[in-house]
Amino acid sequence: MAYAYLFKYIIIGDTGVGKSCLLLQFTDKRFQPVHDLTIGVEFGARMITIDGKQIKLQIWDTAGQESFRSITRSYYRGAAGALLVYDITRRDTFNHLTTWLEDARQHSNSNMVIMLIGNKSDLESRREVKKEEGEAFAREHGLIFMETSAKTASNVEEAFINTAKEIYEKIQEGVFDINNEANGIKIGPQHAATNASLSGNQGGHTSGGCC
Amino acid sequence: MYLLRGVMGAQSAGPQPSGAETVQKLCDRVASSTLLDDRRDAVRALKSLSRKYRLEVGSQAMEHLVNVLQTDRSDVEIIGYALDTLHNIMSNEMDEPDDSEEENSQSQTDDLGSQFTEIFIKQQENITLLLSYLEEFDFQVRWPGVKLVTTLLKQQGPAVQQIILVSPMGVSRLMDLLADSREVIRNDGLLLLQQLTKGNAAIQKIVAFENAFERLLDIITDEGNSDGGIVVEDCLILLQYLLKNNNSNQNFFKEGSYIQRMKPWFEVGDDNTGWSAQKVTNLHLMLQLVRVLVSPMNPPGATSSCQKSMFQCGLLQQLCTILMATGVPADILTETINTVSEVIRGCQINQDYFASVNAPSNPPRPAIVVLLMSMVNERQPFVLRCAVLYCFQCFLYRNQKGQGEIVATLLPSTIDANAVSAGQLLCGGLFSVDSLSNWCAAVALAHALQGNATQKEQLLRVQLATSIGNPPVSLLQQCTNILSQGDKINRRGSKIQTRVGLLMLLCTWLSNCPIAVTHFLHNPSNVPFLTAQISENLGEEEQLVQGLCALLLGICIYNNDNSLENYTKEKLKQLIEKRIGKENFTEKLSFIPKHELYSKAAQKPQPNFSSPDHMMFDHEFTKLVKELEVVIIKAIYKSTEEDKKEEEVKKTLEHHDNIVTHYKNVIREQDLQIEELKQQVMALNSQNEQFQVTVTQQLSQIQQHKDQYNLLKIKQGKDNQLHSSHVEGAQINGIQSEEMIRLREEIEELRKEQDILQGQLAEKDGLIANLKSAQPEVRTERSPPEGVPADGSSENAMELYKELEALRSQIQAQSLEINGLQTERQELLHKIETVTAASALASGDSTAVAASKVAELEERLVASLKETNSLKDEVKTLSEEKSALKQQVDSSNSTAAISQNENKKLEQMLADSKKEQDDLLILLADQDQKLTALKNKLKELGEPVEDEDDLESGDQGDDDVESGDQGDEDDEKEELEED
Repeated sequence: MAYAYLFKYIIIGDTGVGKSCLLLQFTDKRFQPVHDLTIGVEFGARMITIDGKQIKLQIWDTAGQESFRSITRSYYRGAAGALLVYDITRRDTFNHLTTWLEDARQHSNSNMVIMLIGNKSDLESRREVKKEEGEAFAREHGLIFMETSAKTASNVEEAFINTAKEIYEKIQEGVFDINNEANGIKIGPQHAATNASLSGNQGGHTSGGCC
Repeated sequence: MYLLRGVMGAQSAGPQPSGAETVQKLCDRVASSTLLDDRRDAVRALKSLSRKYRLEVGSQAMEHLVNVLQTDRSDVEIIGYALDTLHNIMSNEMDEPDDSEEENSQSQTDDLGSQFTEIFIKQQENITLLLSYLEEFDFQVRWPGVKLVTTLLKQQGPAVQQIILVSPMGVSRLMDLLADSREVIRNDGLLLLQQLTKGNAAIQKIVAFENAFERLLDIITDEGNSDGGIVVEDCLILLQYLLKNNNSNQNFFKEGSYIQRMKPWFEVGDDNTGWSAQKVTNLHLMLQLVRVLVSPMNPPGATSSCQKSMFQCGLLQQLCTILMATGVPADILTETINTVSEVIRGCQINQDYFASVNAPSNPPRPAIVVLLMSMVNERQPFVLRCAVLYCFQCFLYRNQKGQGEIVATLLPSTIDANAVSAGQLLCGGLFSVDSLSNWCAAVALAHALQGNATQKEQLLRVQLATSIGNPPVSLLQQCTNILSQGDKINRRGSKIQTRVGLLMLLCTWLSNCPIAVTHFLHNPSNVPFLTAQISENLGEEEQLVQGLCALLLGICIYNNDNSLENYTKEKLKQLIEKRIGKENFTEKLSFIPKHELYSKAAQKPQPNFSSPDHMMFDHEFTKLVKELEVVIIKAIYKSTEEDKKEEEVKKTLEHHDNIVTHYKNVIREQDLQIEELKQQVMALNSQNEQFQVTVTQQLSQIQQHKDQYNLLKIKQGKDNQLHSSHVEGAQINGIQSEEMIRLREEIEELRKEQDILQGQLAEKDGLIANLKSAQPEVRTERSPPEGVPADGSSENAMELYKELEALRSQIQAQSLEINGLQTERQELLHKIETVTAASALASGDSTAVAASKVAELEERLVASLKETNSLKDEVKTLSEEKSALKQQVDSSNSTAAISQNENKKLEQMLADSKKEQDDLLILLADQDQKLTALKNKLKELGEPVEDEDDLESGDQGDDDVESGDQGDEDDEKEELEED
């Protein structure tokens, strides 16, 4: 149960691109072909290991529907990572990426790591968006990119873990203020002591919050 | 409103300006004054009037106050006054009625705040404006802002929640209030958040996302947990709002490891005397929070994972210590029991732990026993007794092991006379004079049997000693006895309660247990008692008992195995028809689910009764009724024929079942066999595969050998073709024979050539012989001129002769060699034949046979391997031989060529010698002519000429010998060639 770091993620993207299925596959290793529309947000969590350190991922899966947009916006600010998902079999979901990205950039903290995900890679025959297009979009906007399949679990682990790696590296580089929980990062109980000195260096306040 | 104004107007009537007028003036000042100080004073004045003249200020000043908020942002003072004023007009709290006469208008003033709020929030920007003021750090602004938003939420909760939800970062901003270092603002922030999150799952989730759990738990810890003041209470209420019926947040709470942080809440000391009211309240809320997480109404998965982590972090253990501690206030104890109940419900590890908990008494008793003692103790508070029953039910819920343990304490073999056992207490409760104890004990015992056929049968073994001298009575019989004698015994409490309890126990016991039904029917007085109860026309109170009796009788029919002749299904049905009537029976049966208390009990597992009188139905029993009602009515209405048919169907079904089971067994056996065979096949297959692999390997090896062999053959063939030799026999037989023929033909040709040569030689011999005979004549006359050419030709002949001799010997050697080669080749051919035959056999057979008989194949393989090995060796020797042969052939060929060349030379020489002979002949002819001419001249001269001829013949004698020798040699040559 003890963890070195806790990262908060959000999953965003158009409705029906498979956000909830990605989360379910990641947390429960299951696939539900028929999934109810997400109302507002749903929570999921899992522990992963990076660099030999236990990292707890808390993931908020948001509703893709426009009517929930105002609710889901409330989650941008406190997230350290975002998975921006589109559906490779539906071009419109790819076309909306710009809007999503603008929204995310506007409401989130500037250091938030965004992973672009082209989901449903198992439906190759119905593909409408080329992998190269996704790669190009990601390159252009400075995102990490990956094609996944929540159905076959292909790349699902990697998507979540690679995002965490990126955040972890940013922490190592000192980009994130780890003592500000509003960034979506929390130091685990076992690490609070070792990081006290670190916070001293940064001149921040002591991390009394975590225990 | 007019009424209110009237009242107020009347009060303020007189020389002084009315409140409304003053408010109007002030509003004008706020609206028109250009001086900030002036406006500020006016707003301050409005604030002071806002309580007394709430209606006036509200209706006239609101618009101006909003304007102030929009325009005078820079002046914290005026903003503070404006916010306070708005708060006063919208809040109902300040509106304490001084006069009793205003009481009737209380409801109206309540409406007032809500109406003003409605007007205020019509402009959504107003809320956004307010939220922006909450970001203002100044206390004068922030605090009234917080209070105002709280009031708005209280008045128009859902509407304001919706506006805040859609305004950017609205909820997040409000969450920041908890981080305010000024306690007043933090505490009021808590109240605000309570109102904000009330009944809105979306906001609850956002608040949780904004680290609310962390912050609230921190505040609770900082404030001293349960010893903390009202702030702790507010935090707990907020936590409850965030978690209740919100699965996502519950999951987050659990995943965030916050359950572990609840454990210290329950670390109460040994000295539990003198708990403050606040502490009791706090603990109560804390316990409720635990229950929110493990409520039976939550999704099963969520509850069970929380239950597990509560055990793992020691929270359950902590709760159990409170359970067993002394001096804990009764209501906290009750709630703790309820909490423990839900923490262990349906969770085997927790149930096992609970069974192991002992009370710190001397001797230590199991907690279960101690709790049951309270349950059957009529001096204990009713709610506590209910809680204990709930705890016991939760302990047994889906706990076959626990059920077995409880029933075992009643069985004769395991009974411990010295210690008080759960079974003893339950029996005591069952037969006590307190109806509540009867009911609780009956229900508790029913839970020990719930869905557990083994325990239903086990409990039949229980015998009770009644009074000395009388035989023991079975527990089942004792229950029916009390039921039937119920009227005779004087009891405290409701008689019906006892009977309902016992009937519920009996129904649970007998359902799905034909043996128990048989036991029940075995007592001849039971059925008449039930029919009498059902058929009697009794008061409303008794209807419930009648219904339960009908249910019990129905179970006796439905779960009847017809083992008792007097009480078969058929007979019982006839009894119902005769004595009660089917319609009447179903009507009585339907009394149960129609009962008001039944539907109440069906809602929740927890026995929660407003008064002891209402304690009638158990939750699990309502489930049983739902399950049985339909099937019993069906069973009753089935006609005899139908029943018989069904019996027949059942019998045939049984028959079929038997057949099916027979076949099942057969199939099972066959399955096993098949499995074995499959395995065998598998093993064989794999073996086969291995063999196939080796076969193919070996086949390829053979092929390789063949190829090598063919290559060699081709090489040999090439050699043979080049030198017209016989060694091509290394190829296939046909070609070899052809080769043979060709070779023979060649030899034949050679022979012919030789023959021709011999013939020519013979001719030459003949010619020479002629010449011999002719020459002496010539010599006599022309010896000097003739001698030179004659000598030359004899020299040539000598050379020729020598050469011929050499040729002959060479040819002899050649023919010898050819003979040797032929025999070798014959051998070779033979060997090749056998080898090719063997290899063809081996390869052809191996593929055909491999699939069917692996073992044979293996043998053959070995044989073929050996063969191939021998073949290899042979090939090696053959190739060696071949190379030797080749060399020989080469040499013989070269000699043959030489001999041919020499033959040619010979022929040429022969031709030359012929020409010479011709020339000689011509010369001879000339000489003859000359001789004749000379003879004629000599004759003319008269001289004899015969002597010369003799001389000539003597000279020619040498020639004769030579030519004779030559002829001999030719003969020899002929002889050799014929051989």
